[in-house]
Amino acid sequence: MSTYARRAWMILWKDVLTERRSKESLNALVFFSLLLLFIFQFALGPDRARVEAALPGLLWLGFILAGLLGLGRTFLIERENECWEGLVLTPGDKSAIYLGKLAGNVLVMAVVEAALLVLFAVFFGLDFTAALPQLAIVLTLGTLGLSALGTLFGAIAAQVRARELLFPVLLLPAVVPVLLGSVSATQTVLLGQPLGEAAPWLKLLAAADLIYLVVGILTFEFVLEG
Amino acid sequence: MRDNWGYVFAAYAVAAVVLAGYWRHLARRAKVLTGREGAR
Amino acid sequence: MAARALGWLAIVALVGGLGAALGYAPREAVQGNVQRIMYLHVPAVLTAYLAFGLVVVGSVGYLLTRRPGWDRMALAAAEPGVLFTGVTIVSGSIWGKPTWGTWWTWDARLTSTAVLFLVYVGYLLLRGMVEEPDRRARYAAVVGILGAANIPIVHFSVKWWRALHQPSSILGPEPSPVAAPIMVALLVNWVAFTLLFAYFFAKRIEIARLEEPHAG
Repeated sequence: MSTYARRAWMILWKDVLTERRSKESLNALVFFSLLLLFIFQFALGPDRARVEAALPGLLWLGFILAGLLGLGRTFLIERENECWEGLVLTPGDKSAIYLGKLAGNVLVMAVVEAALLVLFAVFFGLDFTAALPQLAIVLTLGTLGLSALGTLFGAIAAQVRARELLFPVLLLPAVVPVLLGSVSATQTVLLGQPLGEAAPWLKLLAAADLIYLVVGILTFEFVLEG
Repeated sequence: MRDNWGYVFAAYAVAAVVLAGYWRHLARRAKVLTGREGAR
Repeated sequence: MAARALGWLAIVALVGGLGAALGYAPREAVQGNVQRIMYLHVPAVLTAYLAFGLVVVGSVGYLLTRRPGWDRMALAAAEPGVLFTGVTIVSGSIWGKPTWGTWWTWDARLTSTAVLFLVYVGYLLLRGMVEEPDRRARYAAVVGILGAANIPIVHFSVKWWRALHQPSSILGPEPSPVAAPIMVALLVNWVAFTLLFAYFFAKRIEIARLEEPHAG
């Protein structure tokens, strides 16, 4: 494995291990998903048809809200444990750190999204099994974009005092196209239509993901300086 | 169609207030800063 | 000072533009006089795009050279840029009320412009939160570059989203195909707004230089 790839892998592995031992973030995020479910239900009222009609939007609302919490914490572990200098002094291409953190975030989001899907299925009596493979594709594309942006902005916000305010302020406007594309594609899939119907949206998401990744990789070192 | 001059003037008025306001803000800030420079 | 000259030029051009918009340009056949808002709305959005182009140039320039002049350029463009974007949105909304009956319709262009506004307000908020000049410039540059890269993506996503939920009715606030006086009025106003922006830009850079004289 090249040094670059190994560095990215080390970052990912360190975060996975830390999370496995403490389990603090993941537990809280999954529990947060459960809370969201109740909030959505109370906000929308008992009319089940209303919830079903809003389902694609609700799902992505849930993902984004969880993302605001989870992604914003990306670099908190280094900040709080005085390991920040370790990151800054890493030799070589620092974008390896970005990719390692990105991979970790995608994993976390995947767990949270799976949990939210299961919770929706249970509490609202919905059946996603038929659409599952297509849903997975849409979710992957959307989550990649969300995480690419969140990891980059997370690195900036981590170094600013008002980080809980700054992170949503930066992320939400930037994530608009991901939201629009993902909700539309999710709706197509949940209506049982073939994936091809959502092709323009999927292409848009893929293009957006690529652009966000490239910008993230190219600019990360400037975010991470002393 | 009814002639909506009121809307036209409203739009121009908003633009004028915003842009003139920024103009004055810049002018005032510049004056404070050059005043400070001169006082040193 | 160059800024003062620009300022006077801008004022002259703006007065000319106002006359062109309200007097010289003809009353439009389909929409009536409300169409005259376009002589404000279209130049404003063009100027906003010029501004955000300069933000990108300044952002990339700073990251590559670390010279503060580039960061001053980005800031000096972003501030008026946000204002012109705001004017674009408000004038578009005011145009929409008598035309479509509501203040806001999630029209594709207006929505995209609103998202642009949100992105660059965030940019300015970020700048306000970081005191150290080099860090501020770096973070702002990254956000500015990403914001610009996102513009075409936002444009297409909003356009397609709009097409899904509403059959395309009247096109966004656009001048009807180009009678010469309409083009002239548009051009004069566009030049005037660009001059006004140039004045704001120059003045803001001057102020930034005064604020951080040691930055070089």
